[in-house]
Amino acid sequence: MTTTTVSADAVEPAGEQRGDPLIRAHGVWKVFGPHAERIIGSPDADLPRGELREKTGCVAAVRDVSLEVWPGEVFVVMGLSGSGKSTLVRTLIRLIEPTAGAIEITGRDVIAATPAELRDLRRHAVSMIFQHFGLLAHRRVIDNVAFGLEVQGVPKSKRLERAAEMLRLVGLEDAANQFPDQLSGGMQQRVGVARAFAVDPKVMLYDEPFSALDPLIRRDMQDEVCRLQEETGKTMIFITHDLPEALRLGDRIAIMRDGRFVQVGTPEEVVGSPADEYVANFVRDIPRSHVLTLRWIMRDARPGEEDGPRLDVQTTVREAVPMIAANERPVCAVDGAKVVGVVDRDAVLQAIAGERD
Amino acid sequence: MSVAAERVATIPRPAANQWWRHRLVLVGAVIGALVIVYQAWSNGYQWPSALEWKSLSTGLDNFQTWLSDQQSSAHPNVVFSVLNGISTGLDDLVSWLATLFHDLTWAGTTALGVLVTLRFGGVRAGLWVMGAFLSFAAMGLWEDCVQTFALMFAAVILSLVVGMPLGVLAGRSDRFQRAITPVLDAMQIVPAFAYLMPIVILFSVGPGAAVITTMIYSVPPAVRITALGIRGVPANTVEAAAAMGATRLQMLAKVQLPLARKMLLLSVNQTILFALSMVVIAGLINTGQGLGSLVTNGLNTNPALALLAGAAIVIMAISIDRATEAMAERTDPARMHVTEAIRGRLRVATAATGAAIGLAVGIGYALDAGSAYTNVGGSPDWLQARLQSALDYVENPSTFVFSITSWIGNHLVEYGLQPLQNFFVETPAPVMLAGLTLIALLLSGLRPAVMTFAMLAVIGVVGEWGSAMDTASQVIVALVLTMIVAFPLGVWVAESARVATIVRPILDVLQTLPQLVYLIPFIYLMPVSIVPGIIAAVLYASPVVIRLVAAGIREVTPNTVEAAQAFGATRTQVLLKVKIPLARDAIMLGVNQGIIMVLAVVVIGGLVGSGGLGYEVAYGLQQGQFGPGVVASLAILALGIALDRVTRGNRRPRLEGNR
Repeated sequence: MTTTTVSADAVEPAGEQRGDPLIRAHGVWKVFGPHAERIIGSPDADLPRGELREKTGCVAAVRDVSLEVWPGEVFVVMGLSGSGKSTLVRTLIRLIEPTAGAIEITGRDVIAATPAELRDLRRHAVSMIFQHFGLLAHRRVIDNVAFGLEVQGVPKSKRLERAAEMLRLVGLEDAANQFPDQLSGGMQQRVGVARAFAVDPKVMLYDEPFSALDPLIRRDMQDEVCRLQEETGKTMIFITHDLPEALRLGDRIAIMRDGRFVQVGTPEEVVGSPADEYVANFVRDIPRSHVLTLRWIMRDARPGEEDGPRLDVQTTVREAVPMIAANERPVCAVDGAKVVGVVDRDAVLQAIAGERD
Repeated sequence: MSVAAERVATIPRPAANQWWRHRLVLVGAVIGALVIVYQAWSNGYQWPSALEWKSLSTGLDNFQTWLSDQQSSAHPNVVFSVLNGISTGLDDLVSWLATLFHDLTWAGTTALGVLVTLRFGGVRAGLWVMGAFLSFAAMGLWEDCVQTFALMFAAVILSLVVGMPLGVLAGRSDRFQRAITPVLDAMQIVPAFAYLMPIVILFSVGPGAAVITTMIYSVPPAVRITALGIRGVPANTVEAAAAMGATRLQMLAKVQLPLARKMLLLSVNQTILFALSMVVIAGLINTGQGLGSLVTNGLNTNPALALLAGAAIVIMAISIDRATEAMAERTDPARMHVTEAIRGRLRVATAATGAAIGLAVGIGYALDAGSAYTNVGGSPDWLQARLQSALDYVENPSTFVFSITSWIGNHLVEYGLQPLQNFFVETPAPVMLAGLTLIALLLSGLRPAVMTFAMLAVIGVVGEWGSAMDTASQVIVALVLTMIVAFPLGVWVAESARVATIVRPILDVLQTLPQLVYLIPFIYLMPVSIVPGIIAAVLYASPVVIRLVAAGIREVTPNTVEAAQAFGATRTQVLLKVKIPLARDAIMLGVNQGIIMVLAVVVIGGLVGSGGLGYEVAYGLQQGQFGPGVVASLAILALGIALDRVTRGNRRPRLEGNR
């Protein structure tokens, strides 16, 4: 078997995120088909898709996935179509019932939740944004944004006030009285985003939100998400099949294939040291110098090198090139005031040359 | 490794021929064998009388006498109290509605119909309704139209009350849908003629029985289209609402019903049309009231009046269809984009409409308009006289028209009906039974074949083999004619946008017409007893078959067609090698639907003396011969199921995964 299961919790979250994870999933399985529960734990579970289907009539969409997402983190799940990523995100709030596994969101056991508890979780703790928007065609934009609050039973004046605020947040205040079919795809998805934010959830689930949009609009929307993320600090799980998008948005990225996570790591880790050939093929066309930072290519400073020109350790190789090229001496990578390593021209050249193979 | 090598070695050889060709060849062989048997043992080995249940008919008669004794007794038991309660309740509902329209005066009724349509359906639909009222007045059939409308209205409301909740359930639950679909199928497959008798026995004649007869036919579309509407709500919208924590009730009230609204209104539209199409048949058991009984009584006594009443039904059907369709279209909130300003204006319009209706009723009373419009100047008499003279002309053997129609009729009988009827009736019964079962096996599979065998056996056992085979021969002739007309037209409609735009409105009108209305003109045009039923059946079934064939051909994916064109296929080649084979399921469905529809009309032809099972039911109804009538009804039911199974084809439900 070429695929190896990697648990997300094996990798420490980047930066300052610590404390208890907000979302915790362990050993989640989703098998579609007759007697799905019998597959799990049997030798059949490890069969490739085609053989499993032929033998049992079942399709394993998600296989033994575990993940932990910390507060304020953007966790991206990336995979080709059919890799099970959309199914995975739906099992987290049981839009699709997982066949097996444990799921906990904001400390609540999702699997054991009663229908009422599950509704409460969906109403207040988690919001989802869909690829095809899922707007209500018979309602004005502002009523769409207010829908989550309406479902909660918030009084009309209050929810419309909140909805108007959300429309301002996404820059659609002028469209409040229009209907979804009068808006462009990008604007419709902004309505979807505003709707999700309106209930002030702790967790946002994005299911390929921008796949149906034109490339230019997609880029705008990605910027928008980055901005909202900075302003509100929500925890996000973001599903995409677009690697550049994953690298742009993700604090950590899980690469999914045939229902399993094949690698979980920071963008740098995924690009810099792909877990297997599959991931390597994926990231081959990504310019490494755009993703890798000095932390990735630096070496320990030798005596006497620590007083060279300084750059933040988070700087990408590409941004560092002008300064490194202009200086004879190795550049010091600093984390705050402390020198954590040095980068010389050889290291930069190697990092860039790595793109070629 | 060895496995792989073996796989390479055993590439399956391409089949020499396509399976369905094989199948059709086999079916042809079975038919050929039947013909040979027919030639050799014609009239031998009829259904063995030892296998006939001879006392069934008299038993049923006794049962009916017992029933009516029970029903009319001073202290009926619970079952009969309930049955009586239902039928008197329905009688009361219908007469209450009729009184309501009477109390509004004819001016008020007209204002109500026209202005409500105007408000919700727009000017064009309003004009349709206005025209309809004017024509009812001009034909002098106002009172009958009000009666018919009251009856239909009661049936429609009850159908919706029953059908829509079931439809919502079926739309939300796969299991319920699976459970209810065969029931709905049965309700629609069974020709109305088959359940008239039992209903009369249970509920006796009158408006109540007519409402129930109508409902059997008009509940299925209410359920089906409602379910379709609920299922048509975009899955991602439902999912989004679920993700926001909507309860089941919130989902239904705030998402599914509003988004399915257009389909729900369409189901109202279809329910009305289905109900109206039963009005004439219901007239058979609701004697003396409304347009339906004018038609059924007039067929033999006053043909001009029957024709006029038929025309009134057609006008009513078309105008109601236009009105409800326009209302469904124009009040769709997803299309209307109702903002506060528009909403305010609409409220004013609604209030104005209400006021105007009130005003019209007031004026009606002030001027003493009366409950029904009574004609001024005797135009109805004049119209009837004109119609009668036209009918006289057509029926006069010395005219040119007669020479054409009688030629067509006689040839149809001589070269189509007569030989086929002989073939069906005179081929030894056991051989025919085996042959039809074999054909069902070849075309549809084992289970339908078993069902076919059982149903045909039932026909034999109740002693209706001969009549049933007579009816079957008429059905086959009508089906063949239908396919000859409808298949090329369907292909043409699919291929040419221009033809489609011309044909579509005609099909719309034909489809809204009640079954029996087709029959009326041909009784006079084709004065040979069997032929009017056949022609009416062809007209009744063709629109649906044309639609199905056209839809099937149009639904062939453009990619496939494009690919064929890229290989340089001519238009004919694309049609013959790509489109028609890929539309096979739709065409088979067309045959299946066609045969059911044809049967429904052919048995109605019994009213005008076409023989077969339909005649026995009609005779039973008119003479009060319940036993033989019910037996023939049973045979119609069995024949309908058998014909449905034979032509069902082997459409397999697609795998669940490939929705």
